Amino acid sequence: MRTLLGLTVANIKSLTRDRAALFWTFFFPVMFVFLFGWIFGGNGDSKVAIGVVDQDGTPVSVGLEQAFSQVSLLKVNTGSLDAEKAAMQHGDISAIVVIPKGTGSATAGSPVSIQLYVDPSNSQVSQVVEQITAQIASGFNLQLAGGTAVVGVQKVTLQSTNLSNVAYLVPSILAMALMQLGVFAAIPLVQQREKGILKRIGATPLARWKLVGSNVLMRLLVAIVDAVVILGIGLVVFNVQIVGSVLAVAGLVLLGAGAFLAIGFMLAAFLKTEEQATGVVQIVQLPMMFLSGIFFSFDFLPGFLQTVARFMPLTYLGDALRQVMVNGTQVAPLGVDIAILTGWLVVCLAIAARSFRWE
Amino acid sequence: MTQSGEPVIGVASLCKCYGDIKAVDGISFEVAPGEVFGMLGPNGAGKTTTIEILEGLREPDSGTVTVFGMDVAKHAPSIKQRIGVQLQTVSLYPRLTVTELLDLFGSFYAHSVPTRQLIDAVDLGERAKARSMNLSGGQQQRLSIALALVNDPELIFLDEPTTGLDPQARRSLWELVKGLQAKGKSIMLTTHYMEEAAELCDRVAIMDHGRILEMGTVPELIGRRFKERAVFFDANPKLPAGQLGKLVGVTRAAVEDGQTVLYSLDIAGTIGAFLALADSLSVEPGNLGIRQATLEDVFLDLTGRALRD
Repeated sequence: MRTLLGLTVANIKSLTRDRAALFWTFFFPVMFVFLFGWIFGGNGDSKVAIGVVDQDGTPVSVGLEQAFSQVSLLKVNTGSLDAEKAAMQHGDISAIVVIPKGTGSATAGSPVSIQLYVDPSNSQVSQVVEQITAQIASGFNLQLAGGTAVVGVQKVTLQSTNLSNVAYLVPSILAMALMQLGVFAAIPLVQQREKGILKRIGATPLARWKLVGSNVLMRLLVAIVDAVVILGIGLVVFNVQIVGSVLAVAGLVLLGAGAFLAIGFMLAAFLKTEEQATGVVQIVQLPMMFLSGIFFSFDFLPGFLQTVARFMPLTYLGDALRQVMVNGTQVAPLGVDIAILTGWLVVCLAIAARSFRWE
Repeated sequence: MTQSGEPVIGVASLCKCYGDIKAVDGISFEVAPGEVFGMLGPNGAGKTTTIEILEGLREPDSGTVTVFGMDVAKHAPSIKQRIGVQLQTVSLYPRLTVTELLDLFGSFYAHSVPTRQLIDAVDLGERAKARSMNLSGGQQQRLSIALALVNDPELIFLDEPTTGLDPQARRSLWELVKGLQAKGKSIMLTTHYMEEAAELCDRVAIMDHGRILEMGTVPELIGRRFKERAVFFDANPKLPAGQLGKLVGVTRAAVEDGQTVLYSLDIAGTIGAFLALADSLSVEPGNLGIRQATLEDVFLDLTGRALRD
């Protein structure tokens, strides 16, 4: 036990004193969380900034302006038309709503039109603002006419159908980090074999399983640290809560790390030089990173790439983590995810055990 | 200086092939307790393969290999507790410090020497906190020897311990090995430096192409092939070889690299006769000297080629 712990500590020191390894294992995933967290910014938080120009100054026009302010999706800026136009040209706001003079005294006989300045090149935002404006206008029309709305819409949110981008990304990036952690384990192993470290240790009475065990233990510890850091940032910075059981998440983290470690060990069994290892590891990890539904949903992939992705273990680890963590829509049932990951673990470990060379 | 007691190493008819290449081709030898036994030979002679089979790192194809009287194949774990190993060209966990590496390796053994003591023994006190990747070649080699001593072994294997070191570092390593010998450790080392074998080893086996060509103490090896010593001087036409060959004790006269060399079984008689002859002819012989055959000559004589080529 003392030797196993001693070796594990030695492995941890070797990792934490190696800047390149540190970057890939910790900073790279953390960077991804921040980067993609900010880029996609979560559906809930990202507001469309618009300018509202009140040229009327009556209670009605002020009421209209307030109606816009109350829409949670909008961030309303008020000012003169010229100022708002300048702001739009700067890109500070995406649309301008102009409430013209005479709105307060408008009647069925002399209607006024709310003017909407939009940018046709940003059609998504334009449509959203158009719809909101139309809704507010019709609401006002009903009120002014003394009528009551017969049909209303009540919004009900289900997390599974209203998954914010960040909530999708946090478990995905955790899966990516575990994948890299495992697959990258091939590099130090090949390095240690190439340098004769494995052989030198072979000349001591140390049992070989302890040498392997210490590597596994070290990687699993790092996996836990990675998971805590990534989920912590997700929770604190981007408010992504773990909906499901924390224990289930922990179990999946260990299973995922184990499966990818087995892949790393299998690669190490066949690779001879450090240069080979660094190259092949990238060839293995990059397609998985981009095709396994980590950065965008699996459904967006064209058919044949979906087939490719269905063979990748990362697809299932990401899927399982999203299901448990944030109730994400499933690619496969959780049981299937777990079975496939276990399969990868067992098969790769068996191949590694059969083929691994100590020198 | 062979000592009594059961041999610590016993090798009989050992063979090891890599594909078609016979790396070790039926060698036999024994190493006595407290003996420093050297394997001398050029690169590719089969020295490292032999030593790694003894260390339990490789399996022999045939032959018997015992360490402390135990079959290496069957008792590797208990043998490994009692041997110290220094491998050729190994850089250990590069980012661990000297102290950390010694502590780590100590933990692999049932009994280990305190790290501080090991560091002092190899004189690495000032580098105790340095990462192994930042050590000089000589320091790395000393660390590697300290690691071989971590379990206070009875038998130490040193595979080319001074290859690549500058002369000063080599000398300091030799002192270290002599100190171990004085403590009664048995040592088996390989080298391709004759001076090293001559300086350190009680007995030497000369190896080439997987076979042991000759084995014994250094004076034995030289005496067995070269009973003569040689008188040499700058070749001079006034001193004809024909006449020189008939001087007292001379077995053979030859001209090598511009020098006349007289091989003699009676070096004192030959010198006297030669000086008298030179005097009578009024010749002052240039660069006059005497030499004895070296291990290099033995190797050259055995294989027809130089040791380091």
